[in-house]
Order: sequence, then C-alpha cells, then structure tokens
Amino acid sequence: MGMSGKTGRRAVVVDGLRTPFVKAFTDFTKLDTIALGVAATRGLLKKANLGRRDVESIVWGGVILPGTAPNVGREIALDLGLDPACEAMTVTRACASGLQAVTLAAAAIERGEADIVIAGGSDSTSNAEIKLPQKVVHALAPVALGKADPKAILGAVGKLAPFTDILPTRPKIAERTTGEVMGEAAEKMARRNEISRAAQDAFAARSHHRAAAAMASGRFDEEVTPVEASEGKWVHADGLVRADTSEEKLAKLRPVFAKDGTVTAGNASPLTDGAAAVLLMSEEKARALGYAPRAALTSWAYVGVDPADQLLMGPALAIPKVLDRAGRTLAEIDLVDLHEAFAAQVLCVLKMLGSAAFARERLGKSAAVGEVDPARLNVHGGSIALGHPFGATGARMVTTMANELVRADKRTALLGICAAGGLGAAALLERID
Amino acid sequence: MSDVLLEIGRNARARAVVSALGLPIPLPVPLRRARGPWRERPLADASVVVGASAGAELAPVIAETLAAAGANAYLTGTDSIASAFVEPGEAYGRPARPFSALGDNERVAGVVFDATGLRDVAGLRALYETFHPLVSRLARSGRVLVLGRPSGNGPAAAAAQAALEGFVRSVAKEIGRGGATANLVRVEKGAEARLGPVLRFLLSPRSAFVSAQPFVVDARTKMSDDKPPFVRPLEKKVAVVTGAARGIGAATARRLAEEGAHVVCLDRPGDDGPTSQLARSIQGTALLVDLGADDAPARIAEVVRGLGGLDVVVHNAGITRDKTLGRMSEKQWDEVIGVNLGAVVRTHEALEPLMREGGRVVCLSSIAGIAGNVGQSAYAASKAGILGFVAGLAPIVAERGITVNAVAPGFIETRLTAAIPVAVREAGRRLAALGQGGLPEDVAEVITFLASPGAAGITGRTVRVCGGALIGA
Repeated sequence: MGMSGKTGRRAVVVDGLRTPFVKAFTDFTKLDTIALGVAATRGLLKKANLGRRDVESIVWGGVILPGTAPNVGREIALDLGLDPACEAMTVTRACASGLQAVTLAAAAIERGEADIVIAGGSDSTSNAEIKLPQKVVHALAPVALGKADPKAILGAVGKLAPFTDILPTRPKIAERTTGEVMGEAAEKMARRNEISRAAQDAFAARSHHRAAAAMASGRFDEEVTPVEASEGKWVHADGLVRADTSEEKLAKLRPVFAKDGTVTAGNASPLTDGAAAVLLMSEEKARALGYAPRAALTSWAYVGVDPADQLLMGPALAIPKVLDRAGRTLAEIDLVDLHEAFAAQVLCVLKMLGSAAFARERLGKSAAVGEVDPARLNVHGGSIALGHPFGATGARMVTTMANELVRADKRTALLGICAAGGLGAAALLERID
Repeated sequence: MSDVLLEIGRNARARAVVSALGLPIPLPVPLRRARGPWRERPLADASVVVGASAGAELAPVIAETLAAAGANAYLTGTDSIASAFVEPGEAYGRPARPFSALGDNERVAGVVFDATGLRDVAGLRALYETFHPLVSRLARSGRVLVLGRPSGNGPAAAAAQAALEGFVRSVAKEIGRGGATANLVRVEKGAEARLGPVLRFLLSPRSAFVSAQPFVVDARTKMSDDKPPFVRPLEKKVAVVTGAARGIGAATARRLAEEGAHVVCLDRPGDDGPTSQLARSIQGTALLVDLGADDAPARIAEVVRGLGGLDVVVHNAGITRDKTLGRMSEKQWDEVIGVNLGAVVRTHEALEPLMREGGRVVCLSSIAGIAGNVGQSAYAASKAGILGFVAGLAPIVAERGITVNAVAPGFIETRLTAAIPVAVREAGRRLAALGQGGLPEDVAEVITFLASPGAAGITGRTVRVCGGALIGA
C-alpha cells in the first residue's frame, strides 16, 4: 500500500494542525465533534493560506459520531463555507480513524482522484449521545411514528415493563463481542506479558515530561491552534499534560480495573475532546503552489486480531507488515511514534517486537522485529500525557512526526496505533527534501 | 428418557439435601460441554498443570499446544521441561509459572503428565507424586492426560509403560463422579508433531464423554505440511454421513456442517422427512438410499461424483435385532450383519476411489462389539467386525493420507436407549465412570475430531465414547 503506484503520483503531507486537547467535560463541553473539526480545519486553511475553493475533498475520522449528522467531514465543509463541490466522507476505525482518514486521502491522491485533500479526525466524548435501550425504541415506535391514540400509548407502556431495563445506559468503551472494557484488556495484557506497575508508571511519567518539555519549548506552537471555547474564552494549550508528575506520584494511584491490578488513571490515556487536521497534496501540485512538502506516506497497514485474546496487540503485527512493504528494518527507522492507549499496551507491543519467539510463532520470521530505543520513541510524549480524542489521534501523530522529521533532520518515522475490535494500524512516513 | 439423578444433580439445593441426609445416591455432575464450532483458543485462561518424568520428550509440543490454545501452564516436579515453555509463553503472552504460583483455592482445569521418559518401575513413583496433591483440586469436568510411548525398550520399560494404562483407567473411575476424565496417549517415535491436535481435543470440553482409555498417535499416514487449522477444519470438504436422519448421525451431520463441510445426509427412503429437513437446515444434500439395496453403493458414488469428490465418510447407519441366538431367525441375522458390516464394506469399496488425499473414514462400532452382550450376538459380531475392518484398511490407504477409525459409543441417550427397560437403562447409565449417559453430540464431537486434518496421527484405532463404562474398559 502507499507508494506512487501506477500513476506515478506521490501524496505528500504539506501541513497539519490540531486543537488543544482537553479533558472531557471541561473547556470544550459546548463544542461537539463537528465544531472541533471546524476549528482545526479552519486553522489549517488559514495557516496554509488556502482558499475556500482550493480544497477538493475532506476525509474525516471519528468514533463517537453524531446520530443526526454522522458524516462529520461534510458538515465541517458546509460549516466552513467551503465550495459546495468539496466532497467529504467520514470513516470510522476506532482509535485508528484519524490515520485511516490520512491514508485514504493519500490513496485517493495517488490514484489521481484529487490533488488537495484535508484529512483528519475529531471526537468529543463530552457530547457522546446517551443511548436508549432497543426495547424502548421498539416499544415507542408505534407512538412516535404512527398514530398516538390512547390505545397505542397504553400498548407502548405495557411493552416497557418491567421498567428496570429501560434506563438509558452509560456509554462505556466496551467491546461489543466480549463485553470487556478496554482497561480490562490492558490489565490482562500487562499480566500475561509480565509488564510491571513500575514500568508502566515510568513510561507514563516520561510521556508527561516529554510532552511538557515540548510545550515549554514552543515545539507544539506550529501545530496547535487556539480555540474559542465559549464567549471570549480561548484555549491555547493542551490541558492534560502534567509537568510535575513523577513515578512516585503515579505509584500512589489506585488500580482501576482489578483489585491487584497495575493499570491506573495515571498510566492510561484520559477521555479527551479535540480535533486534528492534515493537509495532503499531490507532490506535483504542492510544488507548483510553492509549498514545501514535509513527508510522504511510504507504506501503511491495518490488521485485526481476536479481541478476546490480546485486544491491543495489533501494532505488533501491523508494524512488521509496514516495514516489509517498505523494504526497511526497524533498526533503520529514526523515529517511532506509538499511540499510548495505555502504558501497559505500549510496553507489551514493544516486548512483542523485541521477541524472537513472537516473531517465529506469530509472524513466521526468523528474527525479532527489533528493539525500540527509548530515545527515539514518542519523542514528544503521547496519548497518556496529551490525551486521546479517538478520531484525532492518528492525524495528530502524522503532523507531529512530519514536523519532527524536518526539525530534527531525520529521514523516517514509524507510526503504530491500536484500536478497539482488536484492530491495529501502522504507517511509515518518509521525509521529502 | 430423562435422567432423574442428573436432574437432581443440577439443582444445588437438591444436591445439598441428598448429601445432608447421607443418602447413598451418587449424583452425577452435569458435564461441561462446548457449544458451536471449534474455537481458536478452546482452553482460554484455563489453568493446566504440567508434570514430567525424567527424560520426558514431549515438552515442546505440550508447551506450544497449551500456549496457542490459550491455557496458562503451571509446571510441577522436574525443572527439566521449563525451558521448552519459555518461547511459546513469550510468543502468546502465556508465560509458564511454577505450580506453587497457583493460588491454593484455585481449581485445576487439566493435568498433563509426560511419561515418555519412563524407563523403569521405580520411575512410576512420579505418577504418585504428581497426581496425589492434584486429584482433589481438579475442576468440574477437569482433564487428566498421561503421555507415554507405545512400547518400552526392554521388559522393565515395557512394564512401566504398560502400568500407565491401569493407572489412567483407575484414575478415570476415581475422578469421574466430578465429571472429569482421564486418558492415556501413547506417542510413537517420529509422531510427536501430530500430538498437538490430539492434546487440544482431549483437554477441551469436546471430549466430555471420552475417558479411561489409551490413544495411539503414530506417523503411518502421509500428512501434508500445512499446519492443521484450529477453526473451520472442514472448510471446502465434502462429507457423507449414513443414517443421518436422527440420533448420532444427525448430530454428526450438524457438527461436520458447522465446521464447514458440505454434508450428504443419507438415510432410508422411509425417513424422507427428517433427512430432508436436516439437509436443508445445514445446507447439505439429502440422499435417500436403502443401504441394503444392491445398487446403493453405485448411487451414493454418483452423488459424490457430482459434488466433485469426497473427504469424509461416516458409516453410522446401523440396526439392532436383539434376540438370543436360539431365538434369532435367519433373516434377522442376515439383516444385522448385512447393514452393519456388509454395507459398510461395500459402500467403502465404491467410495474409496473418489476420496481425496487426506480423506477420513469413521465407522460406528459399539461397546457391545468390544465387550459382547446377551441377545446381541449378531450385532456384536457386526460391530466387532468394524474394528477389524478399520485395522485392516488403515495401512492400505495410509499412503494416500487417508485415516480409518472406529468410534464405539457406550450408553448414549437416544431413541434406541430410551426404549430399554428402566432398570437396565439405569444400570447402563451408572456403569459409566461419569455416572451418566452420553449425548449424541458427545459422539459427534469425537467423529468431527477424527474427521479433521489434525487427526492425522490416529488411524486403524477404536475410540470409545462411553464415559469410562466398566464394560469393555
């Protein structure tokens, strides 16, 4: 996948921008996923100095989609007053939705379907719709859609009894097939792969410290746009990063998913509101318009594993695929950026990548994929510190890594994301001179 | 028909009453059974204790099988096997731990003891040391598996290896009341790679009614290099099941279809209704043929040819005409021998040329064929004949990758056994180590396993599905 294919065209990352990421039910509570997407995209258009007629297509990723307007991408285009001809779609691939949007856009460009595409994603956990149980929906349908005569109403009430199971259910991130909450899956993986609490806390602390350093140095200024949260109140920076946290402080937190467990609120990614957008163009077009492309997507891969086994191990299978497709080895990669759903999950994936036994049994390879040097892993922190608006994370990672390739003068960056349903994603970014 | 004791046994309060009153009623425990098709990890999160005698050789297969099947291994006794568990544990995130790491109150789902290194009588002590602390900790429908070699090198080793069988049979009776089973698997040198699927099956709930017997895994049959599939083992395969209208035949047809096979459901023209209904529900083909008719084999072959070939044949059709020899008519004798044995041989001869590489033949025998039974001289003769047939045929078709086995059900709750007088029926049920009758599905599970690519190590053998019944044990 990726590469220029038959057309000889190459899709390039020109720019990227995101909203600040803030804790759910705080500053962005009044902004739904469309409004967040509008904010990120508006900022990107302005930063890249693009006109309203220039964008040909929007590909958007989201997980908690608004029931009345699930095609978030199209709503963003309309709200921004883009040319009505700018078509749009919205994709969902759980936490890999944002990356999925970016790779779809790259594929469309390489196939010659468009020259200028905005891809990204957003999610507002604060605006998750409370679902009514199907029983209520079915019982009330005759009343709501038919004639609401007293007999129909009585009939509907009759069907609702007993009333205990008609209460709206609290939304939670549980697997539909196994009922397992994602934190339980991380807990299970930590136990099975023997990842200690201390290792998880250390990883989480490092994520915060690196993100805080990036913020303090102004490293994120070029990729985060201020957002007006409510009348006159502007949010300028990420709200979840804790510069002052430490392994000792994190060690005091109580495990959430099992009594003797190791996964805590401190070493997991928090529920977050936010959006991120990436500007992709054909290389030819970008150069013709005078842009300096930062990176190209050399290859990408999506994989699936049985959600009942190790739900979040997907990147350990997707990463070797991406490397194979690009003809690279892990040792040759300059930067590695793994989505931090949980510190435990990242550490499990790293352990699998470093295991010769895993490579033999699960990948059919004679040697381990390789060790990842902590110095080149998640150099500016990750989802634990920054937060994880599901659909936005992939686009955030693409932007940060594309920028980092240029700033740090590196050649290659490898991205890995785990996702609900047992999915995994990976992509390889290569710097363009 | 329904098993009253088993029903009482299902009710926790009734169990408590029976036990409080000190009634001498051995309440059987409801067996844990699997539903639906095979799964990738049939032993998900099960705690399996593994022990070995010195010089044991099967640790790599055991380790790999357990980890891939989702089990957590706990090692006991000798440390020599631990190294074999490191790699599979790491690859599947199932690191093996010492038995002492298992909580005192935690039940053990299975025990695997590798006795392949057993070479003398003194070595038998390891059996006691391993199992003595474990028998009381076996979970409901737990599993005991002892692995040995078919013959020892020299008389002392032969004695030690033979002892394993008596041990397993007795343990099976001891733990049967808890729904648990015990079996012995003898692995020929060079057949180690074929053990995995057998372990997987015998440790899973699918072997619910298989107990107290030895299995032999050998490398006689040619086998493809492909790893046998864990799920949907019969995808793209064509199977014929005779006597498919009801009972074991119907259950088998359903299970084979569930694992992906296209099943030709064969029964007598008089059973048109149930046969067609079954074929429809599993998207198979109904075939109404009287197996006694001269043209039966040719007609079956024609249908099979139309389906492009054949992979699995289950010779299940059978009849009983129970009479003591003195009272039996010539016609009754001929009917029983003709359908139960003659038709099997004739049908097989017609179908063998149509069978593809890696084919599987399973013939239904009976415990009566092994142990004999009053009033069943013809029936037992026909069913014992089946044992000879599979043993004789197996080496001939081995070169083509085809295996041939017999399955001998004990007391199974079917229309046939429901017609038996109450007292005899009760006795039949309680004779089993598991203290109850089996279900047609229990037999179907064994047939499905023997029909799968992973059963390449078992051929020319007879597998009893009798819950460890005394008769014929």
